[in-house]
Amino acid sequence: MKQVVIRRTVRSDAESILAPLTAEMERTAKFPREWASFAAAKHYFGLEIPRVWGGAGLDAVSACIVIEEVSRVSPAMGLCLSVHNSVAAQPVYLYGNDAQREKFLAPMVKGDTIGTFCLTEPNAGSDASALETTAVREGDNYILNGTKIFVTNGGVSGVNLIFTMSSSDAGRRYYSLFIVESRHPGLDKGPPEELMGMRGNPVCSLSLHDCRVSCENRLGGEDEGMRIAIATLHGGRIGIGAQAVGIAQGCLDASLVYSRERVQFGKKISEQGAVQGKLSDMATRIEAARLLVYRAAFLKQKGAEYGKESAMAKLFASETAVDAARAGVQIHGGYGYTKAYAIERFYRDAKVCEIYEGTSEVQRMVIARALLK
Amino acid sequence: MHIAVCIKQVPDVAAVRIDRERMTVVREGIQNIINPLDYAALSIALRLRSRHGALLTAITMGPLQSEEALREALAAGADRGILLTDHCFAGADTLATSHVLARAISKLDPRPMMIFCGNNTIDSDTGHVGPQIAEELGIPQLCGISEVEIENDSSVVARRIQDGYVETLRISLPALFTVKKSNDPRSLPSLGALEDAFSGKTIIRWGREDLSLSVGEVGLEGSATRVWRLRQSPERRKGEILTGQAQTLVKELLCRLEAMSIIDEEKSHG
Repeated sequence: MKQVVIRRTVRSDAESILAPLTAEMERTAKFPREWASFAAAKHYFGLEIPRVWGGAGLDAVSACIVIEEVSRVSPAMGLCLSVHNSVAAQPVYLYGNDAQREKFLAPMVKGDTIGTFCLTEPNAGSDASALETTAVREGDNYILNGTKIFVTNGGVSGVNLIFTMSSSDAGRRYYSLFIVESRHPGLDKGPPEELMGMRGNPVCSLSLHDCRVSCENRLGGEDEGMRIAIATLHGGRIGIGAQAVGIAQGCLDASLVYSRERVQFGKKISEQGAVQGKLSDMATRIEAARLLVYRAAFLKQKGAEYGKESAMAKLFASETAVDAARAGVQIHGGYGYTKAYAIERFYRDAKVCEIYEGTSEVQRMVIARALLK
Repeated sequence: MHIAVCIKQVPDVAAVRIDRERMTVVREGIQNIINPLDYAALSIALRLRSRHGALLTAITMGPLQSEEALREALAAGADRGILLTDHCFAGADTLATSHVLARAISKLDPRPMMIFCGNNTIDSDTGHVGPQIAEELGIPQLCGISEVEIENDSSVVARRIQDGYVETLRISLPALFTVKKSNDPRSLPSLGALEDAFSGKTIIRWGREDLSLSVGEVGLEGSATRVWRLRQSPERRKGEILTGQAQTLVKELLCRLEAMSIIDEEKSHG
């Protein structure tokens, strides 16, 4: 009952407030601040954060529904919410102490500061453990040095979770996570990347030059970073899975509208078998992807193991999004290749779902490890 | 002050089926929403409450699933929700419905000084229920209003558009208002408010016995009208508005005109 109303409410808000901004976002690649203020007032920036901390207090499945419905209209803003909620606010809430929650989480939940999760580096993509950013302890402080790239939300972030190597011993490396505010001395942001899609979400690099932070900025224990990062990424995959389901649904809905309007050979293309086959395949795969995502979310909210399930959900949903976008462009024909139709944007937006938050190849690796352990 | 708002959960838009044997609307499997004009009534009541402070009770008669509408009203800002539900209430016409609602309203403590209803519903569209509640309670009514301002504890000023004129009327309280239009922008609840409304709050349920009503006064038995026959009205000529990009529109229009043999295919592409 609740989830039906949440979906209807978020869809209505997305169509009335966010949809009119997408053309401008596409043209200028500017982050829509006016939408962010609206979203903040509606608790979109604290989806699973308890009510006492100012969040919406939603269960994991409901949070998926929100990300899905926003992504159905704007994948770039669905991405903003997914990253902020799943891999920034959530770990600060789960692993932060009360002082950190007070200082960092409270403004994140209000939408005053948008969060990032900085793992990827020029030489550490799928192999995250190869990272070169270091945290060297000096008394009660750490000195951070290194470069993070492809930081989603980077251009507008107020707070950043930074994954570093904090020590090594006999060839073994240990990692720590730090919460660093964007205004912190020693932290600099690069210019926004020119990306294929997801325009409106300013992705940039972030460099640390002798960035001195206190122990109070460390999230979790020293050298506990890898454990936190892995757990965080399991949750993050559910968010990206939900985002991919939303993109795929957006493609299907756009294709349904177009195919009912477009007439060829004297009848609507929706009445032609070749198009019906594509629409049916899209719808079937989307339902399957959605159920995988909700199942992973349900396991997460029950406190059960969900690493394999979230990898399956992310893998299948992101490939479904790309397939749905490709089929959608095909249904739109020549018009689908023009910027006049949203499907062209969806096609460019969808692709990155197979790459970020662990590529499809990494998801298969995670699934295989779980199967073969 | 205590304000009561009567709401009804109605099936959303066109996905409605008619049960031809029972001559009723089949609601199963269709998304339900708060009747839009009831939501407008709720919006007016919420604004009055935020200005003047009041206890706001949302009330509905319907099956158990109508609880969803009350929880949405709670999320929007109502203080409490009362569900009037009983298997005997099924099949009620507007008279039997008004009777149950009026009895429930008269049971409310403190007595509501203002009662709001939507002017009509999108599913049955009679516009009877509000006026019948007022008649049964023996209080004045203003139908089809769009604005209300509280003057003092015993009177309000309301506006309604009637035959192209804006009427401003003063009415003493208690009174019932049916809302035809709201100038208050409809603002949907936040996720946190939805979570609170659906997870934490209790909905009060009253059945036939709680309202001291006999079986003969409610539901199908208590109804003064019966639907005798239901048939679809013949389809009328209607226009169609094509939307989309100009280039697609022109092409589509040409295709359609060709298909109807209004224009010649070769010439149109020439």
